[in-house]
Amino acid sequence: MDERSDKELAWASHQGDRTAYAVLVQRHYKPVFLVCLGVLGNVHDAEDVAQEAMIKGFERVCQLRDGSQFGGWIVAIARNLSINLLRKRKTAAKAPVPDRPLEPQRAKSGHEGLQQAVARLPRDLRLPLVMYYFDGQDVKTVAEKLAISTSGVYLRLRTAIKELHEILTAQGDTP
Amino acid sequence: MNRPCPQMQDKVADYVLGALDTQQAQALQEHLGGCEACRQYARSLQEQAQSLVALGQRLEADMEARRDRVIEALQDVSPAETDTRRIFPSVGGILRISVAAVLVLGAGVIIGRATAPRPVDVEQLRADLQASIVASLKPAVQETVLAEVDRCLESGLAANEANLRNELAEQLRGDLQLFATQFAAGSDRRMDKRFAEFVQLIEEARLKDRQQVAKALDRIEQNRVLDKTQIRTGLQYVAALTTKATPATQH
Repeated sequence: MDERSDKELAWASHQGDRTAYAVLVQRHYKPVFLVCLGVLGNVHDAEDVAQEAMIKGFERVCQLRDGSQFGGWIVAIARNLSINLLRKRKTAAKAPVPDRPLEPQRAKSGHEGLQQAVARLPRDLRLPLVMYYFDGQDVKTVAEKLAISTSGVYLRLRTAIKELHEILTAQGDTP
Repeated sequence: MNRPCPQMQDKVADYVLGALDTQQAQALQEHLGGCEACRQYARSLQEQAQSLVALGQRLEADMEARRDRVIEALQDVSPAETDTRRIFPSVGGILRISVAAVLVLGAGVIIGRATAPRPVDVEQLRADLQASIVASLKPAVQETVLAEVDRCLESGLAANEANLRNELAEQLRGDLQLFATQFAAGSDRRMDKRFAEFVQLIEEARLKDRQQVAKALDRIEQNRVLDKTQIRTGLQYVAALTTKATPATQH
């Protein structure tokens, strides 16, 4: 395991060291992927955008002034790319697209149904839910990363799990 | 499944999130003990939370494969290429702007020459130009000279500030003394005048008193003369009476 700091790895990546950047990918891919999943609500889209974010990070690593901030920087890139993708899709549709599908999805069982129900949550509820349950972050960390209060996180999580329950109940896929 | 109590749904959700304190959790558990619908709702939310954690673990299990795909995709790009792409468009942009500027300037020159008026009288042009320059520069020169004078004055004032202060203090002191002297002299004159007026008033009063005293003395004298005459008349009358009575007494 590479013991170098993010700052050293970012500098080496700037010099064209792919191995160093691969270590950064190993360290920071998960939060990048989960923020994409939280915004987009779809695993395949999240995977594509997370890869795009990582590639952009490699291309633009020279713009990062403080390499020790690589984690927050690359997550911000991923989040912006995800939001841009949602906007593009809304623009392409030439009509406001709700955060959740209008038509109820065909009922699916198990993880697939739950994943689908998570995708149907509004984005501002989905992101804290993903960070809390999928990434195992505590409420305080989620609050810091989303720049909201802990009570705000609790409120979103409470609303999210209640709505998720309603969606799953409507799908006939109650856990 | 029966609907859970509407007022308890938030508390059940908070309970699942671990957001209730001991007392609140105990109160909720007491409610759950007697409410089947809420108990089922709480169980369902807890199972849902466990499913979410399990889904996160499943996603985590696939994370390594995703990382590998990203690292594989990175083989086709490099920061250097990115830098090159970032620099060259800028250079291209500068070149495009430069070429456009040259073209615009060249077109301007050509149009200017084509539309330029015929040669004019050089002397007249020189005189006009001189007058124009003088007219245009005069205010600026005046302003510059004024600014220079102000600056010189300011610097001179700053340099001689102490001397000026002393001189001003001396002058102020002299002025105050002169004023005090003039004020005192004026004050004396006013006092003399007032005193003379006062003496005159006293003299007038004394004169008036004398006149009144003289009048009074005249009246007293007249009264005295009158009294004397009356006394003399009375005495003569008494003497006459006395003369008449004496012979009778002798008899």
